[in-house]
Amino acid sequence: MIWVEILSRHRDVAARVRVMGEEASIGRGYDNDVIVDDPYVAAHHLRVFRDATGALIAQDLGSANGTFADGVTGRISHFVIDGGQPIRIGQTLLRVRAPDYSVEPERIVPAERHRLPIVLVAAFTAMLLGLVALRVWLAQTGEPRLSNYVTPLLLVAGIILVWVGIWALLSRIFAGRSHFVSNLLIALAGFLASLIYNEVARYAAFALTWPAPSTYEYASAWLILAVVCFLHLRAISATRLWLKGTIVAVVLVIAIGAQTLQRSEAFFDIGRQNTARLLLPPAFRAVPARAPDGFFADVAGLRVSVDADRRKARPGEVVH
Amino acid sequence: MAHSVALLQPHGVLAKRLPALVFYLHRAQEKLTTNWFGGAGYGEALTAWFRLLLTICAVGCGAAQAAPGQVSSAEAVYASAPPRLLQIRTLLTSAGQQTSNGSAFLVSADGLAITNYHVVSQVIFEPNTYRLEYTAADGTQGDVHLLGVDLPNDLALVRVDKHDAPFFAFDAAAIRGDLTKGERLYSMGNPLDLGFTIIEGTYNGFVDRSYNERIHFTGALNPGMSGGPSTTAAGEVAGVNVATRRGGQLVSFLVPARFASALLQRVRDQGPTSDLRAEIGRQLAAWRTALYKSLGEQGFRSAAFGPYRGPEPVAPWFTCWAQTNSGATPKPRADLNTTNCTSETSLFVASDLNIGNIQINHYYARSSDLNQFQFANYLAQLSQARLTGGGPYKKWYTPERCHEDFVGAAAADRPPLRVMWCAQAYREFEDFYDVALIAITQDDGREALVSRMSLQAVGYDDAMALGRRFLDTVRVSK
Repeated sequence: MIWVEILSRHRDVAARVRVMGEEASIGRGYDNDVIVDDPYVAAHHLRVFRDATGALIAQDLGSANGTFADGVTGRISHFVIDGGQPIRIGQTLLRVRAPDYSVEPERIVPAERHRLPIVLVAAFTAMLLGLVALRVWLAQTGEPRLSNYVTPLLLVAGIILVWVGIWALLSRIFAGRSHFVSNLLIALAGFLASLIYNEVARYAAFALTWPAPSTYEYASAWLILAVVCFLHLRAISATRLWLKGTIVAVVLVIAIGAQTLQRSEAFFDIGRQNTARLLLPPAFRAVPARAPDGFFADVAGLRVSVDADRRKARPGEVVH
Repeated sequence: MAHSVALLQPHGVLAKRLPALVFYLHRAQEKLTTNWFGGAGYGEALTAWFRLLLTICAVGCGAAQAAPGQVSSAEAVYASAPPRLLQIRTLLTSAGQQTSNGSAFLVSADGLAITNYHVVSQVIFEPNTYRLEYTAADGTQGDVHLLGVDLPNDLALVRVDKHDAPFFAFDAAAIRGDLTKGERLYSMGNPLDLGFTIIEGTYNGFVDRSYNERIHFTGALNPGMSGGPSTTAAGEVAGVNVATRRGGQLVSFLVPARFASALLQRVRDQGPTSDLRAEIGRQLAAWRTALYKSLGEQGFRSAAFGPYRGPEPVAPWFTCWAQTNSGATPKPRADLNTTNCTSETSLFVASDLNIGNIQINHYYARSSDLNQFQFANYLAQLSQARLTGGGPYKKWYTPERCHEDFVGAAAADRPPLRVMWCAQAYREFEDFYDVALIAITQDDGREALVSRMSLQAVGYDDAMALGRRFLDTVRVSK
């Protein structure tokens, strides 16, 4: 007895045929044991039989398109089947197994569901929504209004659900399982990381008078987004991670480069830096106030950049 | 001179302001004078400045003999004026059509005429795009040659192809500054291109709060009369029509005759200026150096704002206004008292550039209902560093660059400050900068003084010296 399995592109079993006897013929013709409806397959394409030692052998019957081991280039005409390696004929993937093929041992069902991911999801959600609400509250200098909270909270929740939904769908398509909780955890953690970065950058800009983290906040947002995408891809399947990582990194570099260019051009178009100046309570100041002499020495240094701008000709300008 | 359509269509503006003027005759702050540049850019604020400066152009009028019997002074003055008056048009060279027009008057037998700088400025900055042409009362036309300018006083001396024509003399009393308040003056020109016109008005001395000397003339000057003469009853020039105040009634301004006389004398002595564009740079540099020297010498007085003291300008050419939000509904969550001091120093440089404005503002804020974070956000809204540009950014300025830090001095009454300094350079003029300095006191989480000084067209070293004194004057007593 021989089992011949026709696999989908994702290597799932699409059909399974039991051939009684020690030999199976595979092809498009109706006189075969296993009929494959693939126009690229020959009428009599492949023969599977046992040799003198009892091993299963696949033999190409002289098809025009040939027979291949999955993932290996170079046609083969006669080879030993191990039951694991799929075989490609035409555009169809096959797997041939003998009844004595040893399957993996049974997986043990966990005694109870893992609590940790659920707890993490709840904690991250609470932190995220709490942080958003806190920001709204601290920025509220006009009349307090409940709707000021509702809109951003719903917006954040909506964005996360749509994002996670898309990844769960992709995961379902390509991995067969949606991994909803993992995807949700990844998205929540990413959102939370960018919010926390934002707050730290604001603190540094005011308390340390170190505006760089705030100026390059867009780069950190792209970086976090790239890491999130990579983790989502890994959740779908942990194969070819180097390829996924490379693609995400390339997209990241392009995005940061494009936005840096856009910001630099906007600076000369608008005439001012695109950074809001922020203040925090005076108690947050973490550096000593500078003496006026030091401050005005820096201000004198600023003149150099301003004068350098003046010497740059504008596009299309004829300097007088 | 007709600057632009917006400038020449006063109806909308007048209609908007009328209710206030009709019912409340006290002087109210003109919002237009404190227009800060918002995110939208320089355009709006520029328009606002131009609304203030309504330029006028016209042709002058003649001498007046003592009026016999029924002949009024105006009739007599006007009778001899037309041959001495000119209309000056700025033409787009490619189209041959006027883009603006103004007036001028002859001051010599060989064709020298005085007009306003702003009537001819386009030709100086873009000589390939524009040219000048005059039209006399008898319909003759011809080329106009620029000989010299006096930019701070908005005057230009031109030569036209007229020989042995009658011309205006300057009034000796006006040159000395001896005219009597209430004396009749007769302004001439070509308002709104309707034809040569004479307007009777009153001499009201010099404008009190103007840094540049200007005669306050009570009479209805209109666009197109710029550069025309204003004469005494004897037909001698006392001033040159230059501007009017939108929102006022018959409030008009003349350049005193002595500046026109001096310009004429200078060109006669030294010959015509060869490179007018460079000359404009020199005149502006001298003018603004004197302006900021004067600001520095007159200095700041220390004004009280709650427990804080902040610098207010002493110079008489500032107009200050105060505001409070205490009457607002709903009740504001922080009390805010504002004072704005604006200098009356703005100077016309080009049809899209005014410079020399100085503003000093203080916001004293105290939280009634805001926590410290909310109050800090409130202060941040008050203290965004925005330079007050006087023209379109890309044409005249480099991008704004800023520096920000905590500044403090070791003294009990010197609160630590969060200070922002922003600067942009002028592309056309060397060592001209617009600078904004903002200081926020950092001694208390629930009340603060936000002090801002904004200087246009200042030299960088002058700005730093003024900035130091400004910060030095911010004090606290608790």
